[in-house]
Amino acid sequence: AVSSAVPLTPAFAQSFPISSIQIDGNQRIEDATILSYLRLERGKSATAGELNDAIQRLQRSGLFETVDVVPVGNRLVVTVTEYPTINRVNIEGNKRLKDADLIPLLKSQSRRVYSPATAEADAALLAEGYSQAGRIAATVTPRIIPRSNNRVDLVFEVAEGDVVEVERISFIGNRAYSDRRLRRVIESKQAGFLRSIIQSDTFVGDRIAFDRQLLRDFYLSRGYVDFQVLSSTPELTRQRDGYFVSFKVREGQQFKVGRVTTYSDLPEIDADEYHKVARLKDGEVYSPAKIENTITRMERLALRQGLNFVRVEPRITRNDADVTLDVEFALIRGPRVFVERIDIEGNATTLDRVVRRQFNTVEGDPFNPREIRDAAERIRALGYFSTADVNTRQGSGPEQVVVDVDVEETTTGSLGFGVSYGADAGASLSVNFKERNFLGRGQTLSFSFDTGSDNKNTSVDFIEPSFLGRDLSLGLNAYYRTTDSQYADYDTQNVGFEPSIEFPVSENGRLRLSYRISKDSIKNVNATTSNIIRRDESSAFTSALGVLYSYDTRRTGLNPNGGVLLRFGQQIAGVGGGLKYLQTTGLVSAETRVAREEVTLRAQFEFGANTRLTGNSRITERFFLGSSKLRGFDGAGVGPRDLTSANQDALGGNYFAVARLEADFPLGLPEEYGIRGGVFFDVGSLWGLDDTNTGTNAVPGAAVDDGFKIRSVIGVSLLWDTQIGPLRFNFSKALVKEDYDKERSFDLTVSTKF
Amino acid sequence: CSEIIRNHGYIPIEEDLQSLTVGVDTRGTVEELVGKPSSSGVLRGGDWFYVGSKMRHYAYKKPQEIDRQVVALRFSDDDVLQNVERFGLEDGRVVTLSRRVTETTVRDVTFIRQIIRNFGRIDLGEALGD
Amino acid sequence: CGNRGGDGFLANFWGSKAEAPLETFGPEEIYKRAEFQLEDGDIDEAVRLFGEVERLYPYSEWAKRALIMQAFSYHADRDYENSRASAQRFLDFYPADEDAAYAQYLLAISYYDQIDQVGRDQGLTFQALQALRTVIERYPESEYAKSSILKFDLAFDHLASKEMEIGRYYLKRGHYASAINRFRVVVEEFQTTTHTAEALHRLVESYLSLGLTDEAQTAGAILGHNFQSTGFYQDSYNLLQGRGLEPEAAGKGWLQDIYRQVIRGKWL
Repeated sequence: AVSSAVPLTPAFAQSFPISSIQIDGNQRIEDATILSYLRLERGKSATAGELNDAIQRLQRSGLFETVDVVPVGNRLVVTVTEYPTINRVNIEGNKRLKDADLIPLLKSQSRRVYSPATAEADAALLAEGYSQAGRIAATVTPRIIPRSNNRVDLVFEVAEGDVVEVERISFIGNRAYSDRRLRRVIESKQAGFLRSIIQSDTFVGDRIAFDRQLLRDFYLSRGYVDFQVLSSTPELTRQRDGYFVSFKVREGQQFKVGRVTTYSDLPEIDADEYHKVARLKDGEVYSPAKIENTITRMERLALRQGLNFVRVEPRITRNDADVTLDVEFALIRGPRVFVERIDIEGNATTLDRVVRRQFNTVEGDPFNPREIRDAAERIRALGYFSTADVNTRQGSGPEQVVVDVDVEETTTGSLGFGVSYGADAGASLSVNFKERNFLGRGQTLSFSFDTGSDNKNTSVDFIEPSFLGRDLSLGLNAYYRTTDSQYADYDTQNVGFEPSIEFPVSENGRLRLSYRISKDSIKNVNATTSNIIRRDESSAFTSALGVLYSYDTRRTGLNPNGGVLLRFGQQIAGVGGGLKYLQTTGLVSAETRVAREEVTLRAQFEFGANTRLTGNSRITERFFLGSSKLRGFDGAGVGPRDLTSANQDALGGNYFAVARLEADFPLGLPEEYGIRGGVFFDVGSLWGLDDTNTGTNAVPGAAVDDGFKIRSVIGVSLLWDTQIGPLRFNFSKALVKEDYDKERSFDLTVSTKF
Repeated sequence: CSEIIRNHGYIPIEEDLQSLTVGVDTRGTVEELVGKPSSSGVLRGGDWFYVGSKMRHYAYKKPQEIDRQVVALRFSDDDVLQNVERFGLEDGRVVTLSRRVTETTVRDVTFIRQIIRNFGRIDLGEALGD
Repeated sequence: CGNRGGDGFLANFWGSKAEAPLETFGPEEIYKRAEFQLEDGDIDEAVRLFGEVERLYPYSEWAKRALIMQAFSYHADRDYENSRASAQRFLDFYPADEDAAYAQYLLAISYYDQIDQVGRDQGLTFQALQALRTVIERYPESEYAKSSILKFDLAFDHLASKEMEIGRYYLKRGHYASAINRFRVVVEEFQTTTHTAEALHRLVESYLSLGLTDEAQTAGAILGHNFQSTGFYQDSYNLLQGRGLEPEAAGKGWLQDIYRQVIRGKWL
């Protein structure tokens, strides 16, 4: 913006009487607006300095192209020319990048003031966008088309040029690892025959910098402490359409771990106890990840012992002679810092206490970073928020810290309606409502209700996780279920009510006590069904006490990368009511992440035993191996079967035992697709019947083979993290099975992270 | 079942407390020696209190305060330390809290509004329920 | 824009508001049509037309009025984000205009109307307070200043109730020092709100629980001096005299407690 200074005659430069101000040249901007920027009052004299400030203020407003302030006698004449406003902004010549993505980025918008400076800045922005996409040769020039009454159209003309690719990547100075191995480490790829499709072979400046970082991490985690990337110079090919990139590196020596010691001058800390937790052994290849892992374990131990202000500081001494590093973990007293306030923001429907109760730290307590990180983990695990970031900032004093919790809520409920009309069953309505954060109180409320359909399932479920403000979860479940299951030719009807409470019994252990009162009946068993089931055709009351102990170290355990889940439960039926049996179930699951935390290995063993106190077990009590327990088979596809009956009903089993080994790993696809691969191997069996007589009481028939028969399945799966939830596609093949088992080679389930 | 003990608040360690001299130390020197108080009196320039308590969490029982130490630093009007008093758990009174709450003008999100917000979303667990 | 011809015919035939005919109308007709759409309830269409007035005739008097009407329409449509953007643009262009007070006011109540129940997001409340304060300070004599002051007090009261809610959370769980700090914030920084009486009573409860009886007496005295008639003073008086609580303040047994806390979500 060009402006002419005030034409002062140097003689009397001091001040000008202003009796009136005349403004001209403005069309859209009003005189009042200009006066408000000038801030000069009529009737008062103004010095040269004040006039100059007035001009500056007018220019800084960014509304005017030129500003002239000329004192004529005692009148001040202000002439301005306004910037035109932009009528329309568009971009021509762009094929690779769409208008829709580019225009919102620009500062010049339609209806705003046009200024050449912002237009230039926008052009540079577009050029930068193209060079990020690998088109370094792209050029962008802004052009103006004048329109009626001082409006302009702004057009950005783009000349894209073609993509510049990386022809060859070479390494100099690498002895320990080959060029081919290092090419797999970095992200940029050499242009192969699929060059036009693959993005990662286009030459992008930032990606080369990122590659240097990847190389450093690769070498560091293998003990090459002195590794350096000396240079990564890209040279342009003669035809200027490709680049040669060569990385010059100096590897240095591979260092092993020398002596590992733990030292502390704090009276309340016993150094050996902390030393036992270290995961670093003498002679092992040195890696920063192991140091970090040990620090995490020691901090968690300190947290468990309730010690405050303890900081773990690794002190490393090099001895180049025998190429080892001595590591000393010093437990010292950290700075005395307190949590002044915990402020929670962004919780539009969730109540403040639902988030606040996830913190074990209370305002005024000593600040323990580990405790705050664990609390952040618990807040995310609630599943009410799409993002929940917890960070700390300086409080009112140097020793005070304020914990800021910024959450963004996601949808936590579902409401489904279904109306179906069957020729015989007539119209039927089904409603199911589930809300995991009912009224923002953290309570779960769900009810489903359907009439008329064969599998009627009307149930109400309510969970209050913090009953009476304590860490005590109260659950109420009432259900009325009828099944006309397609796996067998009989109907079951169960009506029941099950209150339960759950509470912590130790740092990682929780106990769930429940009582169930239900009426289970088996009805209209048709003629072709096995006699064993026919004898169960009756209805009986069950009144059972249940206890379930679970021990989970995956989140709070010492090892950050893995953990153990143990569940052991018993149901004792016979506290009143007709049926008397003891049902024991158990699950042991261990998982760990290996290969730089990208591959998860999980091993699970699950078993169940149903021992009758009086009489024979009924089919509704016995176990069935669903596809969630043993993959690769139909709902009741496995287990003893009455082969003599016409439709060979599955009879279930009093005992089951299954082992599942699985691993999931990245498929190399970009992160945002959220797709991972998996392999699994399941082996298990379902066996044991009290009543194996296939004939009637009068005429005993052949006995059902209810012996222990192993089944095993091998399979691969695809894990896909979609918006509606984590899906898991399982493709399986049975290795060992009985000929009467019903296989299911493909299955789509929700991958539960229980 | 084992109990879980959690410590809250902060009591300065014994040596620091001994180093305070009544009649000489002012608020500034006290703060350096012993650190900022957990909370203070209701009036501006009131006395300073350090509160440290031990909470016992046991199964389904209400968390219980099993130990509490309160160190009260009394200051004279010209901010000079006058007295150091100590209170334990036994000095506290069990107070039944009043149920009264000052009503606010802002309305509650109603059950109906929450239902509408979930309309049409499917819950994956049920849809693929095994 | 080669297809103007065909578009025109189609537009008239279907009566949709295509580009061509708007160019021919003057700013006033488009403005009138936009106002008509607004009364007719088709807010999105009204907003689009107001935008067109501003784009086609940026220097007319109508452009200014269209801009403020756009902000108003967005606000009526509960689209607070855009309402703020349009109001801000009006303030950039016409800071000294007599409608600037209304624009600033629109900006403020777009935050204010988003404030939800007390247990909820306090981030919005801060922004509402700042915006309302600018209205009060910059346009003290405009008719919006009065209602801004009223809304400011309500938002301020809402902030105080948030502090009280957190204080009660800690008080109920026996973390008396944390509770005291929160209630002191209310007594010191939110005296003008309706929560000061309760804050003083909670201080009496907290100090007594810690055994600091003379602090409790001081808090009780301040409460008695300023809020003699409130139920809270009555509770404090009884506490300090060692008597039981009034019926409506005391609990009525554990069953009623469960009902109040689980079903009605009360704090105690």
